[in-house]
Amino acid sequence: MESLTILVVDDDPVIRRLLQQRLKNEHYSVMVANDGYQAERLLKKQHFDVVLTDLVMPGDIGGIEVLEITKELSPDTEVVLITAHSSVDTAVAAMKKGAADYLEKPINFDELFLRMDKIANLKSILKSAKDIGQAMSITEAEAASTIQNLEMTVAKLQTRLDEVETALRDRTKAEDERIANAIDILTGE
Amino acid sequence: MIKISPDELKVVAQYIHDISGIHLDQSKSYLFETRLSSIAEASGCSSYRELQQKAKQDPAKKLERAIIDAITTNETLFFRDKGPFELLQHKLLPEMIDARTPKSGMMKTNIRIWSAAASTGQELYSIAIIIKELLRDLSKYNISLLGTDISDAAIAQASYGKYNKFEIERGLDRAVLQKYFSLFGDSWKIKDEIRSMVNFRKLNLMQPFTALGKFDIIFCRNVAIYFTLQDRTKLFNKIADSLADDGYLVIGSTESLTGVCSRFVPKRHLRAIFYQKS
Repeated sequence: MESLTILVVDDDPVIRRLLQQRLKNEHYSVMVANDGYQAERLLKKQHFDVVLTDLVMPGDIGGIEVLEITKELSPDTEVVLITAHSSVDTAVAAMKKGAADYLEKPINFDELFLRMDKIANLKSILKSAKDIGQAMSITEAEAASTIQNLEMTVAKLQTRLDEVETALRDRTKAEDERIANAIDILTGE
Repeated sequence: MIKISPDELKVVAQYIHDISGIHLDQSKSYLFETRLSSIAEASGCSSYRELQQKAKQDPAKKLERAIIDAITTNETLFFRDKGPFELLQHKLLPEMIDARTPKSGMMKTNIRIWSAAASTGQELYSIAIIIKELLRDLSKYNISLLGTDISDAAIAQASYGKYNKFEIERGLDRAVLQKYFSLFGDSWKIKDEIRSMVNFRKLNLMQPFTALGKFDIIFCRNVAIYFTLQDRTKLFNKIADSLADDGYLVIGSTESLTGVCSRFVPKRHLRAIFYQKS
């Protein structure tokens, strides 16, 4: 399984460093942003599997805004919010806006790794499903083209057979003339 | 998972055919097991025979509906297979609009389109989006879009028009998504301007459907593949009766009407085939 790319967004330098270090130790690929503005710039430049953001940050871009920006720029990126116990209601509201999950402070790292693991599993299942879907589309397109060619060929032959039948049943002409006409139709003359 | 015995397979297959027209042969025992086992367990049945008897005796048909929902394949996506939608946009719709536009400018253009195996609605909404994109101002048109399916669960989802992010990511590009859907929690919901263009209702294609009236364009994709040859012939004959004389029929891209119904002739347009009555 490929390792997740994670963007950590937190204005607190101590928590930021701690998250970065612990996630790196678990072999995740991590980048950090000091605030929402920097997060937005990074999100515009590259794709992340997960954005792990503090809910409350100074400035106009808080965790909810980071969530909205992320979903706008890259809908398949999962957003996990870090929140104080007192703002759990806000976090639940954020889940309704498309956040994957939230973690309460102080951060329990086992819990964090578990959540990241779950997201990684989901991403890998989705990727397999997408691969299967693509393989199916290719097979289907190939089969469709074969079937459609056959369908048109059969229709053309049917028309010609109908013409042959009409020619053979044409009572206004002598038998050998009817046969000659039928042969002309069959040989495409 | 409850195992199915060969005897049960026969009886249950016949029952499923009776209620849905779907033909499952002996080789598909895994389908019965994977799709019906949980229903059997949930309704306290220890065998499929018991489930079938219970379903048959239930006057409210709740179990029957659950079995139909489970056994039908709702594999569908927005703009599944680009061919038919390009065909609709560039050929069928423009030609049908030409044919149906009244000579005097006062009357509206009437067009009726039917998605006969609508599943969870993606095909019909894709058609509605194409119409909206192509015509913009719909006030001069009277376009009726009907979607039918045998599964209550599928029709319920189609009517609600809400799709989770996995369903939505498949086949829809960002611009269309942003324009015609609104984010609804973790899911996307079709906007009212498109929702109001379509209607969904339950229909078993094995039953008569002349009451639906005549249609100008019929999509009947990837459903007849689950029927026996005999049932396919019956279905496409009924569809021929329901199609306007100059109407268009679109079937699944890997389906064929050769040896099924001689009332249609295939016509090719670019990468797609459509049928007209002969």
